[in-house]
Amino acid sequence: MSRRERAAQEAAFLRGEVGVDGRPADDAPDKADVEAGKAREQFLRGKTFVGREFLTWLLWRSEAGEPLVEVDGKPATVLFVDRIALRGIAGETTEVVAKGVAAPYSALVRRALDSGLLVHSARLRLTHDEKSYELSVDAEFLDIKSARLPELLSEEEDDRLTERLALAEQASALLDALLRSFLPLRAGKRWSKEAVPAMKAWMRGEAGEGRQARAG
Amino acid sequence: MPILRGAVSLSRFLAEPPAREPKTWLAKGLRVRAFEPLEASSEEDRSAGFVELEDHDATEFSAGNLFYAEHALFSWRVDQLKVSASALRAELAKWAQAFERDQGRPPSRVEKADRRGIIQQMFRARTTPRSKVVDVSWNLKTGHLEVWAGSRKSAEEIGEAVEKCFGVKLLPLTAVAVAGALDIPDTALVPTPELSLGTQSEVRDVEA
Repeated sequence: MSRRERAAQEAAFLRGEVGVDGRPADDAPDKADVEAGKAREQFLRGKTFVGREFLTWLLWRSEAGEPLVEVDGKPATVLFVDRIALRGIAGETTEVVAKGVAAPYSALVRRALDSGLLVHSARLRLTHDEKSYELSVDAEFLDIKSARLPELLSEEEDDRLTERLALAEQASALLDALLRSFLPLRAGKRWSKEAVPAMKAWMRGEAGEGRQARAG
Repeated sequence: MPILRGAVSLSRFLAEPPAREPKTWLAKGLRVRAFEPLEASSEEDRSAGFVELEDHDATEFSAGNLFYAEHALFSWRVDQLKVSASALRAELAKWAQAFERDQGRPPSRVEKADRRGIIQQMFRARTTPRSKVVDVSWNLKTGHLEVWAGSRKSAEEIGEAVEKCFGVKLLPLTAVAVAGALDIPDTALVPTPELSLGTQSEVRDVEA
């Protein structure tokens, strides 16, 4: 081996490209580790887990179909519809997507939640003041996507624009009101003492399903 | 134009507007970062800036075209010139063959690079830029600013431009930001082990 070849091999060793035996180092990361690392990064980035816990709590609270908040003095109800995506950071499955009219409240989704996944994105139907808004929302930014607003009533172009803006803002306000009703509970003692055990009972399909806690 | 019609996708922010008469600072700020069309002679292949909501070539921002009740409505236009890489390669290969036939030798690296530049310029002159427009609504009474697009990348680019042009801080309306507005301390927001994590050691891992 020439001096030049020896120097090249030594440099490759120092860069970690080859081992002491001169063979290529096998440092390709394990696929499962990469996936788990990515899931964890998504979970922690900007505290996305708070948004996921919010949507999971909302799913549990909304099943009864009762009004969850009041906006402008009028009750608002929420229904999860069509598509729901769950994500987790531990275990064998890091993402589950369920589709179907009643999929969000299905036993399959509840079991997945019980195993440690949380709702990451979902399609919601918000009903308020005899108006219905349908929108998709994700846990990380709580952006509103592909929203269907109530039918416009105005006929003039300018009035229609103003009405559309008002409806979009109302959809956003409804989402904020739900979040604002969740956060004080989430930060308080009742979260771990009452809400979480009741949610877990609901996920497991246990008798009673913590209805009392949900009503509170 | 999503503000005017179609399905709605919104990235939501809270921005405290400057405590001055909006008619003076808003149009001025938008004009600072007004859209400028790409020049055929320039080397730039992307241009982005503010345009009027109803006329994507206009950057006057007169009060009548900017203010709708308590809202300021405008758009963000991005023009991009893309020269097809495969077409460029094919044209260059054709030229190299012709060069070799005429000169009896293949072109040198420098000659090839020069020719590539000429072909690229020729293609640029022929290509029409692709234009994309995203609407923005800013409720000057509540401070809510909405970017009417599903793409987070667009929302972030527009958010940055708004912050620079108007000297405001935009707060994305995420769960954590709303918690901050409600004076909920950061320490109260750690993952709930029973909901999202299997074991206590995993909680410790995440917290670390």
